[in-house]
Amino acid sequence: MGFLKRRTIFIVIVLLLIAIQLFSLDLEKREKQTPAARFVLTLTYYPQKFVSSVAGVMSGTWNDYIHLVNLREENVRLKEEISRLRREKFELSEAGIQNTRLRKLLEFREESSYPAVPANVIGASPSILRSQVIIVDKGTRDGVTEGMPVASFDGVVGRILLAGDRSSEVLLITDPVSAVDAYIHRTRARGIVQGTGAGCEMDYIEKKSDVSEGDKVISSGKDGFFPKGVVIGTVTGIGSKGSFINAKISPHVHLNSLEEVLIIQKPVNSLVLNE
Amino acid sequence: MNSALMILFLAVLSLALITLQSTVLSPGGGHIYPDLNLIFIVFLAIYSEVRGSLLIAAGNGYLMDVLSGNLPGTFTLSRLSAYILVKSSSSHVYLKKYLVQGLVIFGSTVFTWLFIMTIIVIRGEPGLRLPLGEILLRGVVNTAVGVPLFWAAGKAYARLQR
Repeated sequence: MGFLKRRTIFIVIVLLLIAIQLFSLDLEKREKQTPAARFVLTLTYYPQKFVSSVAGVMSGTWNDYIHLVNLREENVRLKEEISRLRREKFELSEAGIQNTRLRKLLEFREESSYPAVPANVIGASPSILRSQVIIVDKGTRDGVTEGMPVASFDGVVGRILLAGDRSSEVLLITDPVSAVDAYIHRTRARGIVQGTGAGCEMDYIEKKSDVSEGDKVISSGKDGFFPKGVVIGTVTGIGSKGSFINAKISPHVHLNSLEEVLIIQKPVNSLVLNE
Repeated sequence: MNSALMILFLAVLSLALITLQSTVLSPGGGHIYPDLNLIFIVFLAIYSEVRGSLLIAAGNGYLMDVLSGNLPGTFTLSRLSAYILVKSSSSHVYLKKYLVQGLVIFGSTVFTWLFIMTIIVIRGEPGLRLPLGEILLRGVVNTAVGVPLFWAAGKAYARLQR
């Protein structure tokens, strides 16, 4: 350590102490967003949108063409034909898949008792420390505010953590700081679904409750964030934690391959008991 | 290139790297990608003689903080510390040898993660833990990608600074 000056080590220790103090702000205070944080989201919106579009096109091009590159010359005409047909098929199948997704999203939107804004996923967290965050291309301009629930046609996705001008960050339900008040659909046993990073767990279910593997878990609407009755996932394992039942939950939504989501414009902390 | 233009160039490069890291190189889904932003900060500390590169390093850390679910100060201060440590050691150690650069990238990766883990352990934040094995693995990945990048970028940067 002889190559480090005492002053440098002192500065690093001071920075560490400041970081510890900043980190100790509770989540509620952290979510009081600063104009600088909003500016960062606006600043990164266009590059992220551009890169995610280009990546989508390149990925399609890769799938369609790259394996044709080394084929022999005499097969060129035939391969061009195959390529054209493949491209058409790919485009048709992509359009079909997107159509199905959007139709389900539209049905979900129509069924919802709140207005909803469809959004595309344009990015995700750059850090492994909190990887359960995605970035969508709708922000305060579209009526999105912090705390609004986010869903897909398959169920709950998460909630808005930070709303920028044109884009927003979504905290996924699998993030360790995420918590959703929920019911077991079959028996109405109540608990809290919390993220574990890789998946979710439902904690604080009373011991006497009836819970089985395969049970569907839905939001209760009592946490002030999520509307009542949106599917969260399925029970895949049951254990105990203290004097409560703890259930492992497999989220219904494939959170790693999300392309479109719906931001439900439900005011936070309202209608909690009436839903 | 004059220093104002150089600062602007580095700021744009920083934005481009954070964009790449938050789109095609996002670590969600269990992939291990190199941390281009940390490599960039170590690069700045070794090569940049422009005043203001400290601010670029802090700004890059702040972008990481906001885009990682708003972790206030965590990346800003850990990366600023890494920058200061590398910059400070550059007056005692010759950092332009590739072997030394590899060690510095590896050491910076381990240092920044230990800095962050210290905060998390002290504050008892649940769920945000990274095992030592994974930290070391990330150090190896960053080193493997960082050294060839330093070789290429060092040459380009020397031309730009002329």
